[in-house]
Amino acid sequence: MFLRTVLAEARKNIKQYFFTARALFWALALPLGNGLYLYFLYLPFGSRTVNLEFTSRVFTLDLAGFTLIGQLLYSFFTMMLLAGVAFDAERWQGTLESVLLSPANRIAILLGMALANTLSYVWLLMGVMFSWVMFLNVSVVISDLPALLASVLLSYLSLVALGMSLEAFCIHSRRAHMYVNMLQEPIMFLSGLIFPLQSMPEALLPISYLLPLTFGLISVRLTLLGGASIFDVAIPLTILGIMIIIFTASAVWLVGYAERNAKAKATLTQF
Amino acid sequence: MVFHSLRVVVAAAKFNLIITLRFFSGTAIALRLFAPIMTLGSAWVLYNQIYRGALTPEFGTLDYLSFITIGNAFYVFVFAAAFVVGRVMFWERATGTIEATFMTPMNRLAYMAGIMVAAAINSLIDFAAVFIIGILFGFHATSFNVLLFLASMFLTALALFGVGLIVNAVTLTLRDRTTTANTLMILFLVFSGLVCPIELMPQWAQTISKALPLTYGLKVMRASLLGTATFDLVYELATLSVIGAIYICVGALTLKLIERNLKKRALFSVF
Repeated sequence: MFLRTVLAEARKNIKQYFFTARALFWALALPLGNGLYLYFLYLPFGSRTVNLEFTSRVFTLDLAGFTLIGQLLYSFFTMMLLAGVAFDAERWQGTLESVLLSPANRIAILLGMALANTLSYVWLLMGVMFSWVMFLNVSVVISDLPALLASVLLSYLSLVALGMSLEAFCIHSRRAHMYVNMLQEPIMFLSGLIFPLQSMPEALLPISYLLPLTFGLISVRLTLLGGASIFDVAIPLTILGIMIIIFTASAVWLVGYAERNAKAKATLTQF
Repeated sequence: MVFHSLRVVVAAAKFNLIITLRFFSGTAIALRLFAPIMTLGSAWVLYNQIYRGALTPEFGTLDYLSFITIGNAFYVFVFAAAFVVGRVMFWERATGTIEATFMTPMNRLAYMAGIMVAAAINSLIDFAAVFIIGILFGFHATSFNVLLFLASMFLTALALFGVGLIVNAVTLTLRDRTTTANTLMILFLVFSGLVCPIELMPQWAQTISKALPLTYGLKVMRASLLGTATFDLVYELATLSVIGAIYICVGALTLKLIERNLKKRALFSVF
């Protein structure tokens, strides 16, 4: 029953949002363009590498790869943010009450929404990777494949968990779309997507460390471009693991609380 | 005829400015400024923290942070002004007024021009705000050639008016509000030389940037504020004028053909 709900919700969202060739094109054009924009931002400095310091070691990474990985993870993060407004969308479509009246597991609904976004991400991932390797000759240095797989998996799961948590949080608000849009630019700046985290002003670092994207970027960049081993990225991977647990737990609690609260105050569909 | 068109321009501009004032939102203005603030902040970190002011010799003698500030300010103006025009007909259709609009005997181009004027006045707030924020990050104008400055704004706005007309025609046909306009927005953002001189970009990117009016407009505006006026500017101004004329002709023709086609097939307000 749980699995059927996940699949049904995923299917519904795919049909609703990713069913036209134009939507697929746009899904590709935006990250491709944004990635190139960041790459061009570095060109006036003449360097084709970026030094990433982590745990007192310095990894020299290929610039194109650095911006590519950043943009790919950030795109996934944005998709999870957008999944966060799914309940808001149900509200303005007038279907939120029907969804919450059904006996479907709420976490299964959230997972279904996240799954739909993940599937559309596969298209984006393949398209952007292909274009960058073709046009900008991204060079990849992998020395520990399990470390890379663990980095990708934990980054992915932590972002899905965060997306679920945001979905649950957004039931509480009628301005979810605005908040989600507002979050995008500061997160781009704070996560180390554009430049290595060691250059971030110190006052802002505590905020950076609250974002799973920050640790996802460090671990994937180091394992895919810097030849880092599992021991080099043990700290960010552990933090990502902890974040998965925290965000999943908060999603479960928030969705239950939001539903109880909205039913008690009869504010479920009121704008 | 000319007087009538002028009245249409003024009426459309007035009507749109009233709407803007009625629905004025400080949050929306703040949201529009997030992207340039992030770019300026990132450029500041790259320039001061990572590369310690060392630029590639090909960049020339321009001040990097002023270069970036001008690019962003101009882009914000372009984005706010031109893309409003590109979505006019979509919103007319969505609000159910498209048939009434097209039944009036007014000149379509005058109507669009009126909307462009309102959007340009509105976007001057953003334009000025980015320059003020830029001063905090290190922007300083070394000269101010008023004629060149106004020429760059006027000619680029004209060319982008043509782009807006084309987008309108596409939007009317494909019933798509975001994909076309957003793809164009990304093209302008990435390839116009906002964050790096186009001469530093790969050859294939330079080819794309040569077709964009913003590329030439930006060069002229930078020359007017950074004192780099040379004989090449005559070429930039001439190219900008020619490109602008081509875009406007193509845009006006496309809009006319699509209007005729939609009337013939009774598809004006059909979604």
